[in-house]
Amino acid sequence: MIERTEHDVQARAAIKSIDIDGHSVAFSAGETILEAAQRAGVEIPTLCHDPRLEPAGACRTCLVEVEGQNRMVPACKTPAADGAKILTETERVDRHRKTLLALYLTDHPRDREVAERGAPNELLDMADRYGAPRNWGTMESKRDARDTDRNPYIHFNADTCIACARCTRYCEEVEGVSAITLAGRGAETTIATADSLSLLDTTCEMCGGCVDVCPTGAMGEKMPLTRSAKPERELKKVRSTCNFCGVGCQLDLNVDEEAEGGNGRVVKVTSPPPGTTTNDGNLCVKGRFAYDFIHHEERITSPLVRNENGDLVETSWDNALRVAADGLRGVAERHGANALGFVSSSRCTVEENYLVQKLSRAVFKTNNVHQCAAT
Amino acid sequence: MTKHDAASVPDRLREAGGLLEGVARDIARETGVPEAHVWGVGSFYHLLSRPDAKIRVCTGLSCLMGGAQGVLDACKDAGMPVEEASCLAGCDVPPAVLRDRRTLPHVSVEDVQRAEGDWQRLDAAAAPGTTEWTGTVGPESASDGQLAIDLCAGAAPLGQAFARAVELGPERIIEEIAAAGLQGRGGAGFPAHIKWNGVAGQAETERYFVLNADEGEPGTFKDRECMLRRPDLVLEGMAIAAYAVGAKDCYLYLRGEFEIPWGIVERMIKEIDESGVFGDIRFHMHEGNGAYICGEETALLEALEGKRGMPRHKPPYPVSEGLWRKPTLIHNVETIACVPGIVQRGGEWFKGLGRSEAGTKLYCVSGHVAKPGTYELPLGATLDELVEVAGGYIGTLKAFSPGGASSGFLPAEMRDKPLDFKTLSGLGSMLGSAGVVVLNDTVDLRWAAAQQLRFFEAESCGQCAPCRIGTRYLRESVERHARGASVDGTLEHAADVAWQMNEGSICGLGQAAPLPLTSALKYFPEDFPEGA
Repeated sequence: MIERTEHDVQARAAIKSIDIDGHSVAFSAGETILEAAQRAGVEIPTLCHDPRLEPAGACRTCLVEVEGQNRMVPACKTPAADGAKILTETERVDRHRKTLLALYLTDHPRDREVAERGAPNELLDMADRYGAPRNWGTMESKRDARDTDRNPYIHFNADTCIACARCTRYCEEVEGVSAITLAGRGAETTIATADSLSLLDTTCEMCGGCVDVCPTGAMGEKMPLTRSAKPERELKKVRSTCNFCGVGCQLDLNVDEEAEGGNGRVVKVTSPPPGTTTNDGNLCVKGRFAYDFIHHEERITSPLVRNENGDLVETSWDNALRVAADGLRGVAERHGANALGFVSSSRCTVEENYLVQKLSRAVFKTNNVHQCAAT
Repeated sequence: MTKHDAASVPDRLREAGGLLEGVARDIARETGVPEAHVWGVGSFYHLLSRPDAKIRVCTGLSCLMGGAQGVLDACKDAGMPVEEASCLAGCDVPPAVLRDRRTLPHVSVEDVQRAEGDWQRLDAAAAPGTTEWTGTVGPESASDGQLAIDLCAGAAPLGQAFARAVELGPERIIEEIAAAGLQGRGGAGFPAHIKWNGVAGQAETERYFVLNADEGEPGTFKDRECMLRRPDLVLEGMAIAAYAVGAKDCYLYLRGEFEIPWGIVERMIKEIDESGVFGDIRFHMHEGNGAYICGEETALLEALEGKRGMPRHKPPYPVSEGLWRKPTLIHNVETIACVPGIVQRGGEWFKGLGRSEAGTKLYCVSGHVAKPGTYELPLGATLDELVEVAGGYIGTLKAFSPGGASSGFLPAEMRDKPLDFKTLSGLGSMLGSAGVVVLNDTVDLRWAAAQQLRFFEAESCGQCAPCRIGTRYLRESVERHARGASVDGTLEHAADVAWQMNEGSICGLGQAAPLPLTSALKYFPEDFPEGA
């Protein structure tokens, strides 16, 4: 027989757990049913949820049964309570998912050609996965759009909007910008700016977070849409580091592999899922939308040095570095170290900037070093 | 930006004449609230979002049966800036019409014609030029202590019940409320003392009292009469409740269409402020802006904070996290008006006034009865008893709604059931706010259900999908059915949609919204002929 010390008993009491579909899942204080379920690998569908945001409980897809409670509860918004028995696969939950999604589909384009021109449509995927009836007819919800918005990046398609408010909440809670809002009410609820202004005339910083969080592609990116790029699910994602500043945000280059005669072409940038990278899935206007340079015809792709006539000609890296080193050393010898100054680009990483100041101070012995974003 | 800056947004929008171009930016500059938020708030409330509409004709069921469509058409023909409105709490004086923020009773087509197209000249011949009008109430005379409220008794001197309350102290007061068996009269019938104890027991000492005077359930107009005739009971009840739960600030949220009750309550608050009869308890009045959903207590709190009136998830309940997340006691007007009597005469007295449940109750009755009005009867009176005091039925009874649109329809056979919380809940209906609407056999229940669905569709806040989509889906389905369309999109999925709305909606609006249709289908299938 194992003897239990007082300490063991206390430690055991401190571990709190809930039961999800018969599996005991430990949770820590403040965790929701959804978070505990996700850790345990139990699938609970969500549309309005994003781990970066305060739970809204608005889309209703995550309702589950809790033993002893009359009403189903939103898993995203309900704190896990010690000893609670959660049921996610009952007949009632199944009927709920099917009827809710069927109702959504009466108010949403069901054709992927229309409803999935950009990002994967999570609503249509969910309707397929849970076998939602698609024959409940179609109703008309006239919602205000902003078709005349002249901003170059973000397009709002009111017809595929499910008013889950992920975009407006992201804009407020993560970006602190509050450029967009839920507007109107009832079936005509839509996403709007004050006075239906163009996003350019609001506080919007064009970070594109609204595009990223939208589950149905109602918030879409203009460039790939207008250039009729393939839907996102047909593109290959290549994880990379944004080279616009020193922060080092991770992003996914979306590559159309068949383009450019099979060489591939980056047609879009998306952010990695929240919680997986240091930037937590957030990007800024440059990282998300300024990828045009990648395939620009004037982009410099190899080192250049000037010849006797002053013209730039292609050369090898070894030669280019030698020419630069000779030039710098020559100036230092002729005019002293303080005749030199080093300015590094804001597009360099923190590590690269560190090395530039090391080069300046330790190798060339001058404090004349600056980084263009340091003002 | 302070909480008061944010709370001032709806008032500022109203003062600016509604959501006109540039207003959101101006208010954002003045308050620090983001302009998009200001826009979101203004676009939510119908009295703000449509600044051009000056005349609003009530298209609630009772007003439609009282000729609202003709008045609406006449206004349109006369070129007035007119639109349809959800219930204006004037079901006893149909059709009710809102002119700016003034509700006019019994407006006729002749009234409209007399205005000759000038909306500002529209007046009701039934109450011409009056700044105050009241509806029919009863009983006209009652012996002392026979009624909990007694609308006809005239205002009592303020302060006696409050003085008695202070004598008793908070604990004894709440014991009397418990002994009285007082149930919330806004619709839920929740035992009042549980909420009082809930607020009184909070560790947080900053607490509030909020009066829910956003009366908007179609068929209901009793809170209007309470404020018009017994503002003394309402304000003294609030002072007692605030004292009992340790609150100093009382917020009154009156629907924006209650211009006349507002004036009366405001005058009495001024008297109270001058006399100091309730010590350091302060009253703050807030005006709604046209949103039925703000009668839902947490939506009301959002509205008071200056936001879009979308209900919160519960728990947490307002007793622990209410206005500005502080413990808050919220009561309906009629509930709080019962409090002074309970404090003065004791809980047992109040309990004894009821029949199947505690107390007397203000029943509103409208539709096909001779004298629509507000009648105070023992809780548990039957439909026949109520209609008897209201002058009798007009025509042959076919159906009735016991508690407004949210209670659905019941057949004439249930005329002898006690109209109380428990019995009606057991029948799959509810007493709700006791807005009884009587329909005779000239009424087609498919048509009646469609009108109620139209109301819920117009008043859904749009936050959650089951209600946002379901209310419109059902209304369109019924209308298609009425036009004789068949197959997809008629009523074959109505039961599933109703189930989903009931199970999936966040608040009571979406949960109850299908009931008019499902109950009409259940009790009056003959009104839904196939392919007709």
